[in-house]
Amino acid sequence: MKVVEKKRTRKDEVYKVIKADDKWEPIGHTPMPEIPDLRNWDLRLLKTYKPFYAPFCDLCCFCTYGKCDLTGDKRGACGIDISAQQARIVLLACCMGMSAHGGHARHVLHYLIERLGPDYKINLGDQILVEAPHIRTVLGMKPETLGDLEKVMEYAESQLIQCVSSLHTGQEGSALDYESKALHISMLDHVVMEVADIAQIVGFGYPTSKADTPLVGLGWGAVDRTKPVILLVGHNPVTAVPIVDYLNEHGLADKVEVAGICCTALEVTRYSERAKVVGPLSRQLFFVRCGIADVIVTDEQCIRTDMPIEAAKVGSALIATSEKVCYGLEDASKKAVDEIVSDMLNHSKQVLILDPEKAAEVAVRVALGLAPKRNKVLVKPEEVPELAKGHRLCNMCSQVCPNLLPVGDAIEAAKNGNIQPLVEVFEKCIGCGKCEQECPRHVPIFKMMQAAASWEEWKIRAGRGPIMDTEIRKVGAPIVLGTIPGVIAIVGCSNFPEEIEEIAEIAEEFAKRKYIVVLSGCSAMVAGMKKDKEGKTLYEKYPPDFDAGGIVNVGSCVANAHITGAAIKIANIFATLPLRGNYEVIADYILNRVGACGLAWGAYSQKAASIATGCNRLGIPVVVGPHSSKYRRLYLSRKEEDDWTVMDGREKKLVDTQEPSPEHLITVVESKERAMVTLAKLCIRKNDTPQGRQIKLTHYIGLHKQYLGTLPDDLHLYIRRASDIPIFFKKEVTAYLEKVGWKEKPVLSLPTLIGTYPSEVPIDAVVH
Amino acid sequence: MTMTLPYHRVNVLTGTKAARIIEDPSEYAHLIKRASRPLLVLGPRILTMSLGERLLAEYAVEIAKAADIPICATAHTQKKLLELGVQPASNYDLIEIINHLKDPEWRGVKKEGNHDLVIFLGVRTDLGEQGLSTLKHFAPHLKTMTLCKYYYPNASYSLPNFRKDEQWKEFLDKLIENLKTKEA
Ligand code: SF4
Ligand code: SF4
Ligand code: SF4
Repeated sequence: MKVVEKKRTRKDEVYKVIKADDKWEPIGHTPMPEIPDLRNWDLRLLKTYKPFYAPFCDLCCFCTYGKCDLTGDKRGACGIDISAQQARIVLLACCMGMSAHGGHARHVLHYLIERLGPDYKINLGDQILVEAPHIRTVLGMKPETLGDLEKVMEYAESQLIQCVSSLHTGQEGSALDYESKALHISMLDHVVMEVADIAQIVGFGYPTSKADTPLVGLGWGAVDRTKPVILLVGHNPVTAVPIVDYLNEHGLADKVEVAGICCTALEVTRYSERAKVVGPLSRQLFFVRCGIADVIVTDEQCIRTDMPIEAAKVGSALIATSEKVCYGLEDASKKAVDEIVSDMLNHSKQVLILDPEKAAEVAVRVALGLAPKRNKVLVKPEEVPELAKGHRLCNMCSQVCPNLLPVGDAIEAAKNGNIQPLVEVFEKCIGCGKCEQECPRHVPIFKMMQAAASWEEWKIRAGRGPIMDTEIRKVGAPIVLGTIPGVIAIVGCSNFPEEIEEIAEIAEEFAKRKYIVVLSGCSAMVAGMKKDKEGKTLYEKYPPDFDAGGIVNVGSCVANAHITGAAIKIANIFATLPLRGNYEVIADYILNRVGACGLAWGAYSQKAASIATGCNRLGIPVVVGPHSSKYRRLYLSRKEEDDWTVMDGREKKLVDTQEPSPEHLITVVESKERAMVTLAKLCIRKNDTPQGRQIKLTHYIGLHKQYLGTLPDDLHLYIRRASDIPIFFKKEVTAYLEKVGWKEKPVLSLPTLIGTYPSEVPIDAVVH
Repeated sequence: MTMTLPYHRVNVLTGTKAARIIEDPSEYAHLIKRASRPLLVLGPRILTMSLGERLLAEYAVEIAKAADIPICATAHTQKKLLELGVQPASNYDLIEIINHLKDPEWRGVKKEGNHDLVIFLGVRTDLGEQGLSTLKHFAPHLKTMTLCKYYYPNASYSLPNFRKDEQWKEFLDKLIENLKTKEA
């Protein structure tokens, strides 16, 4: 092909999108990166934190050459091996997760731009000037309007198409390259989450630039079932907001209950303090089957795909409101409201309404019309044995339980008048409904759970969105020096291995130890589902500040971008590193200096996969619960065997630190005890000052002794000089170090990976 | 041949290479004794499951002692084992020990060389099955064995699904007895 004339380079295009003429910061090396641009950073990370694969299935059935058996060293008909196939599935999961958040962002943006226009200004209040840390860092753009956010989406979507196409048969053949793509698309997951939440905050007027958002009602028991109840299920507030508006405009706000399950609950309570959070995803089927909801409004993500069947069973009306979830229903969007209401009330019709205002009016009017005709009586404990009378201990239910619960034994006990084992099963139940489906004797297990569930009301602090710049200014130095021992981000779904109370226990342990505890999504909800002796939940007991000992709810899943965004802001506001198109420098800073660690104890969805993988590219380690081994891939180091050499950025020389910090990028643990020990360890960073290291080790040693009974057997790896030894444990630790023949380790002034792998970024870029 | 399904259906194997089910404790004992560097990996269910009057952890300790097998104490099992008077050789977590076992050059928990037989007890069946899958695919240099009362398709050797705990108890008791007797 003859190149006639150089028309427009990619650089020209990028510079135009990011408004390069606007010189708020110098532009770094990777504005709007494409797949190859950060590949070397990924390969550097993956050199230390090697992918660990646990295949969930030995076969591949992606194309018509297959099924192919990939056991051991066999290859498929296309040439792929088991490792690359696992990485391929991981990339697929991350693409799904990113597109779920991206689809949400697109929907919200589209709705808001239609109403407010593309020039509507982004303003997050006077305490948040670094409005979009991810967009600034990844794209190099400072978004000023809703229209700018659309440009961000266009870029993210262009990368998604590349990544999804690499999944096709006969494309990528390397596991590491699939991982690099997974890291790439997951980095963009945080970008699109940021788009969604910024748009929501500015467009719907959610609280921003404040920490003490209102405490709102939490729990199925918080819902007043004497009123008409509208239940919102999913993640997207586009219909929830007009429902609240409609109720306010018609003087119905205190006559109709609005309650949510999963993230829409967190969204609607940011908009209205009156709304209630029923609970996490794991309580969805339970609550729906209680029949308390008169109208169920579904939007998107993590909703039951059999909702029409479940709603019909208990006589709840159903309105689907997202094009992503149409359930095969008739699209009534263009019909008159009166007609739809009449169809629903008189003919029990379930509908799809894609016009949010119309859906809102219909939901309220149907709830008002339907509620008086419905009977919402719950099962009482004394009725349980009668309900169980058909049961014969066959244990079919126990065998299909994905949380491995002894359901059959619990039903057996309940039949004999002891409901306690069923209470325990309910506490651990992830709400899949498989047990009841499998029961050959049709025992109504979920009905019986109504008597086993606690109907008390708890409190949750409404999601507050981004961490304020002022807070970052205050905690930046203590976090980087290590005197605040770490930021523990407890995030994600409710596929918990044990009691849901474990989340509150873990959060409290770290808050007491003066870590900063940040929560989001279903985890933020269950953290509130435990009361102390005085009847207070964690949200009532601990301050809502992003500061030592604070417990912060940032909001729904898409608000996870604010947690990772806070780490980016530390690099920017405290360390004054420029963000603009400067991803490697910022991720390197976070990996080596910001003691933050995520805990996704109940991760279940593909979104959780992309959120975690996005954290990893940014240098934030994540601990996940046992179910997450089914994600198939972890990033693990081997502390004694691996090379822990980094560059001393100031001296510009390589230093073998011999220190495995952080030890893993993503790891599975089986018990909450081990999770706490691991979290404390994964907050250790090479940059800690001796004082900071002492504090971090005090907690690591304290937790290790408490739960594992001894000093950690890798303690010597984390003590660089005698000045790192925690005073509280000085005698024991000194004796231990002598026993293992510990020697002082080299110290360095500015740890960085830049300079240890091929990169255009000069070492000086990390010196601030 | 009818296919044996694991007790927990989330662990159904979709593959071609599945564990050999062994119901005879003497055969298990023989396999353990024949191994030159066995390793016993213990998970947290040994702290909560009981057999008869005894905690599973006590069975674990007895097995380790009977055949002089080093223990890797995963999750938070180490504390209880210390209380029972046993010093685990390692407290790597489950995924970490598996990550090491994958490497044929690894020196093992006693720094004497990698293990040739890895015996699991007390790990959640779903996590255990995933870990065994890693070893099935990536550690052809070793064999795996499970002692829990369920069938684990991804292991090399597994017990069947015992319908009654008494059957499992009997198996473990006989296994211990067999391990204590010297083989000719
Ligand atoms: S994608 Fe490859 S491994 Fe999978 S079925 Fe097709 S040929 Fe076989
Ligand atoms: S609904 Fe709960 S108890 Fe029943 S199978 Fe699912 S997780 Fe287990
Ligand atoms: S499946 Fe039904 S009959 Fe069988 S144990 Fe469970 S509840 Fe009882």
